[in-house]
Amino acid sequence: MTSNHTLQWSDIAFSFDGEPILHSSSFSIDSGTWVGIMGPNGGGKTTLLKLLMGFLKPQSGSIRIFGKPPIDARPQIGYVPQFLRSDRAFPITVEEIIHLGCLSDPTKKSQTEYWMERLGLLPFRHKPFGALSGGIGQRTLLARALVADPELLLLDEPTANIDPLSGGAILDLLQSLKGKKTILLVTHDIKTIVERVDQILCVQGTISAYLPNQVCEHFAMGLYHTPLLELPTQHWK
Amino acid sequence: MMFIQALFQNSFLQMALWAGLLASVASGVIGSFVVVRRIAFIAGSIAHSILGGMGFCLWMQRVHHVEWLSPMIGAFLAAIASALLLGWIQLRFRQREDALIAAIWSTGMAIGVIFISLTPGSTSELMNFLFGNILWVSSVDLLSLAMLDILVLLVATFYYQRFLALCFDEEQAALQGVPVKRLYFLLLCLVAISIVLLIQIIGTILVLALLTIPATIASLFTSRLRSMMLLSCLFSAFFSLFGLGAAYELNWPPGATIALLAAFSYLLSLLLKRKKFA
Repeated sequence: MTSNHTLQWSDIAFSFDGEPILHSSSFSIDSGTWVGIMGPNGGGKTTLLKLLMGFLKPQSGSIRIFGKPPIDARPQIGYVPQFLRSDRAFPITVEEIIHLGCLSDPTKKSQTEYWMERLGLLPFRHKPFGALSGGIGQRTLLARALVADPELLLLDEPTANIDPLSGGAILDLLQSLKGKKTILLVTHDIKTIVERVDQILCVQGTISAYLPNQVCEHFAMGLYHTPLLELPTQHWK
Repeated sequence: MMFIQALFQNSFLQMALWAGLLASVASGVIGSFVVVRRIAFIAGSIAHSILGGMGFCLWMQRVHHVEWLSPMIGAFLAAIASALLLGWIQLRFRQREDALIAAIWSTGMAIGVIFISLTPGSTSELMNFLFGNILWVSSVDLLSLAMLDILVLLVATFYYQRFLALCFDEEQAALQGVPVKRLYFLLLCLVAISIVLLIQIIGTILVLALLTIPATIASLFTSRLRSMMLLSCLFSAFFSLFGLGAAYELNWPPGATIALLAAFSYLLSLLLKRKKFA
């Protein structure tokens, strides 16, 4: 139990409606590292994030974030969802969305300007959310997650469904935060992050941790189109 | 013109006008939350299940002589009970919520119909609740509406950011430490109280019109919830005032005329919006 760990995941098992989603597994993540999370659809990636935020409770095992249960650690967590369930016509502007990231600490509202500038959102500050392109929308959600200066950043496929330029800008920003924040990024496009991240978690019922160079070997073998998880785990170890 | 002349002479019309204007504040603010949170179906279910409470209390008054148990008390209790039940269902059974809401909607009405059939004598006051009668409002009703407006404005102002977060992205609100479940139940209770007071003006069957149409029209012209609420109050006041006037001139029922005017205006605003962006 060292304080250097942002996250400790011990023997977690989670099932939904009797269907096992995540089997017992353990890992820990050091502070300031950037971790890529990959795996097939339905493998449990989003479930992993929801367990980390305390929205789901595991049937067994324990999760500690900064040494605390997930619910107590929520003020230290920033989250960017893959998409929003609210409708596009919702009457809210970019600036208002970013302000919603400061509800737990209203003094952080002063950071709104900084993050809007950093993410190129100043020209859009009064635009309605529904009128934004996918890329600007994702940058807005990223600004909302960052404005309260969280120590742990959870991102659920933030670059999916947006153009490569916008996706690259988001990844560059995350790169600049490396070492300062612990970042967990769910993605299917592992090739774009494999050289940036410190660790890769493969989630398919169980969770296995790999080093990026092990994944690079996979690509070097010309297996770009072979899902990593379809290969036996021994291939990597 | 006859309406304006009558307005200066007829105290019933003056009361009705005040009722319409006061109701506009509650319907504009709460209606905006109903529209953006997409709980119009829940609001409809609360409005219709009120009939069960009213029918039961009227039956208790007439058959068991429990005089203090007025239909209005029954309406309040049924509205709050169904709001809490519906909120619990929505949080607990997300996948089947529409069917369960429909079940509560029809169950409330069925209970009401059965008690009304068991109640001896005239049940004409229930007709006023069903179809509304803005000319029927008393000074006590006006006071209730004014107090509701104050309550709604205070709660909406104090909890504005948290309600905005709840309606826009519930998950993020929870991550920010907002007690989303408690806040959602508070919102549903406000919706329930607003419905009980609004049905005196427009009736159970038409209350959804006043609760959703002004807010929906407002949403076409603004990208901020705060402005949407203000516009919605203004539209609601406009529909109440002109609906009342049209009903007087045409000798139509006021509630239905207000609802029809609102629906026609919504259609018109959709066409205007489409033309603007064509």
